[in-house]
Amino acid sequence: MERRDLLRAAGAATALSFLAPRDALAVWSRIARGGAVIGGLSEEQLALIGAIADTILPRSDTPSATDVGVPAFVNVIVSENDTDEDRAAFLAGLDAIEARAKTTGGDAFAQLAPSARASVIESIESESNRRADPARTYWRLKALIIHGYFTSEPVMKDVLKFEVMPGRFEGSAPMPIRTSMPPGEYRHA
Amino acid sequence: MREPTDFDAIVVGSGISGGWAAKELTEHGLKTLVLEAGGPVDPNTDYVEHVQPWAMHFRGFGDRKALERDHPVQRGCYACDEVGHKFFVNDNENPYTTPDDAPFKWFRGRQVGGRSITWGRQVYRWSDLDFGANAKDGHGTDWPIRYKDIAPWYSHVERFIGITGANEGLSQLPDGEFLPAMQMTAVETDARGKILKSFGGERVMTIGRAAILTTNHNGRLACHYCGPCERGCITHSYFTSLGSTLPAAQKTGNLTLRPNSVVAEVIYDPTRGRASGVRVIDANTMEAREYTARVVFLCASTIESVRLLLNSKSTRFPDGLANSSGTLGKYVMDHHYGSGASGTVPGFTDKRTIGRRPNGIYIARFRNVKTEHPDFLRGYGMQGGSGRGGWGRGGSMAGYGAAFKDSLINELGPWSLSASGWGETLPNENNTVTLDPTTKDKWGIPAARMDVRWRENELAMDQDMKTAMAEMLDAAGCTNIRTHGSNNPPGHCIHEMGGARMSLTAKDGVLNRWNQAWDVKNLFITDGACMASSACQNPSITYMALTARAVANTVAMMKRREL
Ligand SMILES: Cc1cc2nc3c(=O)[nH]c(=O)nc-3n(C[C@H](O)[C@H](O)[C@H](O)COP(=O)(O)OP(=O)(O)OC[C@H]3O[C@@H](n4cnc5c(N)ncnc54)[C@H](O)[C@@H]3O)c2cc1C
Ligand code: SF4
Repeated sequence: MERRDLLRAAGAATALSFLAPRDALAVWSRIARGGAVIGGLSEEQLALIGAIADTILPRSDTPSATDVGVPAFVNVIVSENDTDEDRAAFLAGLDAIEARAKTTGGDAFAQLAPSARASVIESIESESNRRADPARTYWRLKALIIHGYFTSEPVMKDVLKFEVMPGRFEGSAPMPIRTSMPPGEYRHA
Repeated sequence: MREPTDFDAIVVGSGISGGWAAKELTEHGLKTLVLEAGGPVDPNTDYVEHVQPWAMHFRGFGDRKALERDHPVQRGCYACDEVGHKFFVNDNENPYTTPDDAPFKWFRGRQVGGRSITWGRQVYRWSDLDFGANAKDGHGTDWPIRYKDIAPWYSHVERFIGITGANEGLSQLPDGEFLPAMQMTAVETDARGKILKSFGGERVMTIGRAAILTTNHNGRLACHYCGPCERGCITHSYFTSLGSTLPAAQKTGNLTLRPNSVVAEVIYDPTRGRASGVRVIDANTMEAREYTARVVFLCASTIESVRLLLNSKSTRFPDGLANSSGTLGKYVMDHHYGSGASGTVPGFTDKRTIGRRPNGIYIARFRNVKTEHPDFLRGYGMQGGSGRGGWGRGGSMAGYGAAFKDSLINELGPWSLSASGWGETLPNENNTVTLDPTTKDKWGIPAARMDVRWRENELAMDQDMKTAMAEMLDAAGCTNIRTHGSNNPPGHCIHEMGGARMSLTAKDGVLNRWNQAWDVKNLFITDGACMASSACQNPSITYMALTARAVANTVAMMKRREL
């Protein structure tokens, strides 16, 4: 696509299409202002999630999971979207992770030193059966942490340099990928 | 001034078929009224393809509670997601029923533009292998047309809407008027070559043919590869009726588009033996109105058009309008789809893709083309694609810490390649749509009752999709090959067809070779209801071509005063 056309397209698209429905944006601005998620997770549960999230995705030359609000995202999913059954299973699983921290590391996960946190994570990740707690909830949480991190605005914009309108498709471009994300799965019927 | 109620032509529905009817009728100078059950859509404010996950309440996971409440059926469609659900019907207002042992999925949108806003944009011409299939094996009734009758109309449609694709010279998948093809990925190009070689040229993997612009075309801009087309396209780079045919119709000055107009009945005038017009219920006020016209085109989509005819009863047609043959509502089809295989492609680790290609690869039908398959009749095409795992792979990958994070940011997973079959369904008299005796929609119109089942031939073909795809992945050098079966019920493919089929004689079907009702000569049905067989290609371009062809003939008949 010609650059001139891309600009034309961008012009057409700057209308309102970048904006989410108002109610959707509202939740994130409320959380950004320090507002709570209705019926949400407790301080302790959020601290545990934050500690696990920052062990998996710590701050380096790019932000950490808590830097971009991952615990709040997990909170929204678990508290506002899960079925009662899934939420109960998740909360029980969090307890099982905490119990593992106490047996492996001798304290609540969030209180452990980085190396002790690492051993807890390794002990859970090394379990071959991912369907029994604490592994079951750990893997669900890990997927949520990764999703919450990489779909956050700072990470998509500043880290992945996500291009909303790439303007071209190349099927055989060279690595590396710093400038754009891999394609989403293509779906059609 | 009172709103006019008499027109040259009435078109019911403003989706893929209705948009084409509107464009062709108005360009031929006919004052045309398009009646659309749903509300208007404004691309500037309603399209949501550029809304990023961070701006969504559930970051793309969808609002489970709202979807379960308003879209219990529709949410089974991938496109009915956190932001795109607004282009799907509210299931509570639009019920349908099935027998307990025959689930059926009916995915649909009620709005100006119909499902052209959400469709997958894949377009493949049919060939004589398809139009001749019923005559050859005796299932269903013979099509009254062949490829030569429709070929110029495929070209007519393709030239106007713009189709990307590559010509391959295959008799079973005719070439078309294509804009430049989209690129295949490095592994697709490689796999294409290896599969061609392993199967003696019989199995051809080509780039998907899609109604998406790869160059600026007819005043619409080329695609900018943003990705989620099913949420709309502010630049109208893929074909919608809203962004293409309806504006063309508008430009003639002959179009009256009336949203929120639910057509409840086609009115039959027994003295003249014609359809005099339609009865409409205002979707918002529930007020009833009538409109009259010289010709009536039903383009409300397969099931809706059949339901409308079944609901249009008179002394002359007690079992539904234009149903003297007794075939109305029978021989309903969909594609059975989703079984196939996937594998990991070794190597190519120095390659990646840029941009989000809203298209995939297509493997043209190879079963029962030159040789006969022992287990089933007819065949299937395969659709799929390849890619490298992105950050999402981290969710199930062991590891933590800064290096783990960096690997998700800077590296990609291995390439994978997968495809699944889209299979032809045999026309069967017992696959039906009828009116439910008790259930009614929000506007008091009897709901459709679907009874459609996969049978022996479909199930046998389904098995073959898995093995054949696994063989191809093996030939392509894949490792870790896994087959997948699909339990998709009928309807799930959203290629519902039949119910008011075309036929050679009046006793065998509802429509003649010009999509004209045998029984009511000023009544035309040009959406998927007219199909006498399903072939295995995505069908919408065939509806468009048949619609344009039917209008041209209708106008000629009107000029000859035969209508
Ligand atoms: C997610 C998805 C992916 C798809 N992918 C593909 C693909 O890749 N290739 C392909 O060929 N097809 C695909 N399809 C199918 C395609 O969308 C349909 O075949 C096509 O839209 C049918 O066109 P139509 O005009 O008959 O019906 P529609 O486009 O559904 O339009 C019918 C219109 O009629 C209106 N209507 C219905 N009843 C009434 C009434 N009583 N009164 C007034 N108006 C009425 C409806 O509101 C609607 O606007 C896909 C569909 C979906 C949902
Ligand atoms: S990928 Fe292309 S066709 Fe699809 S919405 Fe984006 S610009 Fe439009």
